[in-house]
Amino acid sequence: MTIANSSRSRKAKAQLFILRVLAYLFIGILVAMCLFFFVMLLLMSSKSNSQLQGAFSLKWGGHFLENLHNAWNDASTNIPRGMVNSFIVAMSSALITTYFSALTAYGIHVYEFRFKRAIFTFIMAIMMIPAQVSAVGFIQLAYKFGLTNKLWLLILPGMAAPVVFFYMKQYLESVLPLEMVEAARIDGSSEFRIFNEVVLPIMKPAVAVQMIFSFVSSWNNYFMPSLLLTKPEKRTVPIMIAMLRSADYSKFDMGKVFMFILLAILPVMLVYAVLSKSIIKGVTSGSVKG
Amino acid sequence: MAESRRIKHRKTVSYAKWAYIFIIPFFVSYILFTLVPQLLTIYNSFFENYMNGLQQIGPNFVGLGNYKALLSPGQSGTIDILKYFGNTMALWILGAVPQFLIALMLAVIFTSARLNIKGQGLAKAIIYMPNLIMASAFSMLIFALFSKVGPINKYLVASGIIEQSFDFLTVKVSVRSLIALLNFLMWFGNTTIVLMAGIMGIDQSLFESAEIDGSNSIQVFFDITLPLLMPILSYALITSLIGGIQMFDVPQVLTNGRGTPNLTSTTVIMMLNNFLSGSKNYGRAGAVSVLLFIITGILSTIVYRMLAKQYKD
Amino acid sequence: MKKLLSALLTVPMVLALAGCQGEKPAEEPVEEGGEGKVFHIYAWNEEFKGFFEKYYTVPEGVEVVWTIVPSDNGQYQDALDLALLNQDSASADDKIDMFLAESDYIVKYTNTDYTQDIKQLGVTNFSNTYPYTVEAASDANGVVKGVSFQCCPAGMLYRKSIAEAVLGTSDPEEIQAMVSDWDKFDEVAAKMKDAGYLMTASFAETFRVFSNNTESAWVDADNNLVIDPAIQTWMDQAEKFIENGYTLTSGVWDAETTAEMGKDGKAFCYFGPAWYYNFCMGPAFGEDAVKEGTDTVGDWALIAGPQAYFWGGTWLLAATGSDNPTMLADVMDTFINNEEVVTALIANEAQFTNNKKVNQKFADDPDFGNPYLDGQNDTAVFNAMADNITFRNHTIYDQLCNEGLQDKFSEYLKGEVDKETAMANFYTFLNEKYPAVHTPE
Repeated sequence: MTIANSSRSRKAKAQLFILRVLAYLFIGILVAMCLFFFVMLLLMSSKSNSQLQGAFSLKWGGHFLENLHNAWNDASTNIPRGMVNSFIVAMSSALITTYFSALTAYGIHVYEFRFKRAIFTFIMAIMMIPAQVSAVGFIQLAYKFGLTNKLWLLILPGMAAPVVFFYMKQYLESVLPLEMVEAARIDGSSEFRIFNEVVLPIMKPAVAVQMIFSFVSSWNNYFMPSLLLTKPEKRTVPIMIAMLRSADYSKFDMGKVFMFILLAILPVMLVYAVLSKSIIKGVTSGSVKG
Repeated sequence: MAESRRIKHRKTVSYAKWAYIFIIPFFVSYILFTLVPQLLTIYNSFFENYMNGLQQIGPNFVGLGNYKALLSPGQSGTIDILKYFGNTMALWILGAVPQFLIALMLAVIFTSARLNIKGQGLAKAIIYMPNLIMASAFSMLIFALFSKVGPINKYLVASGIIEQSFDFLTVKVSVRSLIALLNFLMWFGNTTIVLMAGIMGIDQSLFESAEIDGSNSIQVFFDITLPLLMPILSYALITSLIGGIQMFDVPQVLTNGRGTPNLTSTTVIMMLNNFLSGSKNYGRAGAVSVLLFIITGILSTIVYRMLAKQYKD
Repeated sequence: MKKLLSALLTVPMVLALAGCQGEKPAEEPVEEGGEGKVFHIYAWNEEFKGFFEKYYTVPEGVEVVWTIVPSDNGQYQDALDLALLNQDSASADDKIDMFLAESDYIVKYTNTDYTQDIKQLGVTNFSNTYPYTVEAASDANGVVKGVSFQCCPAGMLYRKSIAEAVLGTSDPEEIQAMVSDWDKFDEVAAKMKDAGYLMTASFAETFRVFSNNTESAWVDADNNLVIDPAIQTWMDQAEKFIENGYTLTSGVWDAETTAEMGKDGKAFCYFGPAWYYNFCMGPAFGEDAVKEGTDTVGDWALIAGPQAYFWGGTWLLAATGSDNPTMLADVMDTFINNEEVVTALIANEAQFTNNKKVNQKFADDPDFGNPYLDGQNDTAVFNAMADNITFRNHTIYDQLCNEGLQDKFSEYLKGEVDKETAMANFYTFLNEKYPAVHTPE
């Protein structure tokens, strides 16, 4: 009996050990895959154009600073300007999107009113409409009213983000006890103050998650900005990358291009690093139930 | 006592107005920046309206002319938009299947108390990282790595695996695989995090009682984890589907806008982009958008219904 | 690259022509009478910007602003069109004063009111310019809207070492006799192949020679697409060349093609005008290549080749609504008539200019030569071809017709699709890009 038991537990232990090894191996492979591209990018951004065209080697190219200098000072793209533009757009829309989505979600979650159900269903329905359906009309209107090259035109539409709203709504459902709102009311807080000072802090993790998600998607957005931003001083990073890649032969420098890509990732990494703790926590605690 | 009655009174009478105040910004922004353009797009789709050189043609009312033109067979005998839609779906499925399978596995592994994986934080951060790179930049990197004179080819030739450099960007299977690989890499970390959230939301006592009943891990996964994960899984699938239908950056940059070979990696949005850039063909582009909306609606509903049904069973 | 190239060229030439190099020409003061403070130029690359900054003295108090948009996928024209359409409502300083256009789409702009008559602005001296450059910049009624600072007769550049090895001579006249028509060209190609070389390094290398010698325009008066017999001949040739292994399936601008210009390159010849080896032959003449010893400087010679043609060229067009008309006229006049500037363009930049008199002077100079071509007087070669160029059969649709056909046909040559599908894909591409053009059913 005891012998059988201990042999079974030994067998289970061995099984668990094998499972663990397999799990670590599985994670290791995926992590390596993701890292591979970053290492490659770093490596390639250290090489000169002719090194990149020559035989491939894993050696450090030694042109990192030169590429950095060339990319940063590239006359026709102006990276610093692009970074600033991208940052303005991405940060503002991240803030606006998360704040107003949270506000809308709160409005629908906490209050009882006549069209509550209908409005919720409506927002869920418009979530299904591809962004491009409005893009054509949006661009036409922008041109008609002379609103091309206006950065705010890329920011303000973020106020209505159904997907973010949906996430916020689910989050509120799982974390916000209505009694808390009641208690705040007894303290005499106005409804706005309750949202800003009581509810928003509770939602911090969810806000952080959605902030990084929307910052990233806005930072990386190419389609709409490429059609709206035509002036050089208004261009965002993705447009500049597309430009560098299609640069004519006389200026084509792959080392510079890779350096630009590397530079373009850094601000996002920074924002990610700052918010990442809240993200994992946020998604975890913001579990969506049924 | 009087205090609490007053509050009750206020709640029933005047709190509803706050709901409207709080949701007004959303709707104002929605109407201005989304609904009006959406209606305009639909309106456009009934007109001939484009630039020929620097000359504006139209707008002339053509009824369903744009739809007819889009839905009738083109030069090669196929209906281009359907072909592109097929491409788009194929590209999405190729990337989404591994994306969801691996994300599910990872989510289960990370949340398993039995396995108790160490160093999770770092691993999760790294697998989320590709999502931070802009699709066009990532495509460029892949393009450079896999181009005919790129390092992958040089390595393969030098090590004798292939005799001549292989043009990854001219063969349907390899172009599509590269696009799928990119999409997979960019999104599996994101999906893992979302699915983990779902699994962690499941009542732990269910797992414990299953263990007492002697169920093995696989049974637990299919009997408890998967059914209870359905709502969030369907949310993730539908958002992935919507994103997939709108696929543009990766194939556009990877094939330099050409959708090679033989237009098999041209997506619907790339077609839309072709109509818009240059000739500003609002009529045809509007019709593409409307068709896309209809298709997305239908597909999303189907996926939602399918998953919801399974969840109920 | 451009800078290194011109630097490379400058060294030997400055010695020969020290007199022309010293001072900056064109120091004419411009009247400030109501002229704008900003001179706004639209361009698709930095070629002209380099010349402008070097050789044109901007009037005091005027700032030159460049908007440079790459021409890939028609991006340049999109941006330019948008700016021109909004020219009326733009503020004075935002208004475009001058923009650059290529022969592929110049018609799109000259035939509209967005460009203005430069004779009225004061550019009247066309006595030394080549007629085709004026024709190209004129609208249907003969009103001239701009000038070109280049003349772009194009020839055939070949590797002398390869010629010597395979054909037993590298003498330009003898080689010219061997490739004087397309049949002979094919014969040489076969010899190259037998000796382990390539005739050209791109299936589209000769495309411009044929497309420049068409009998009809890409699109006829009824907006129907026309595949000219010359284009058809090119397609047949490309097919044959790929089949026989005379060339590669990569496009003219692809790294694979230009890589064959280097020391270990196998390609015998390339086709192009003066700007081609100035800007597009990095692996042969670039600084990187020279540093690493893989260059082929001096191993090239230029001849007319099987058929005369011109390729490209950059025109400066006067935008309607410019608030700097005097400077606008002065810029244009400078780059065609200011002999010091034009001389510098040939001597320092290896351009073939749009000034017959100065070109002739260099063509006649026995000491003048191009170091890339081992001292061969390329100006003399171009000069002999330049007078015969005509500008005809151009439409607003040329650019994407040319690019689209090469792209789609290359898929057939690579074996990805059959010929009909390739053509159908070409038509599909045009249908999406040019709604007004009718393609064959």
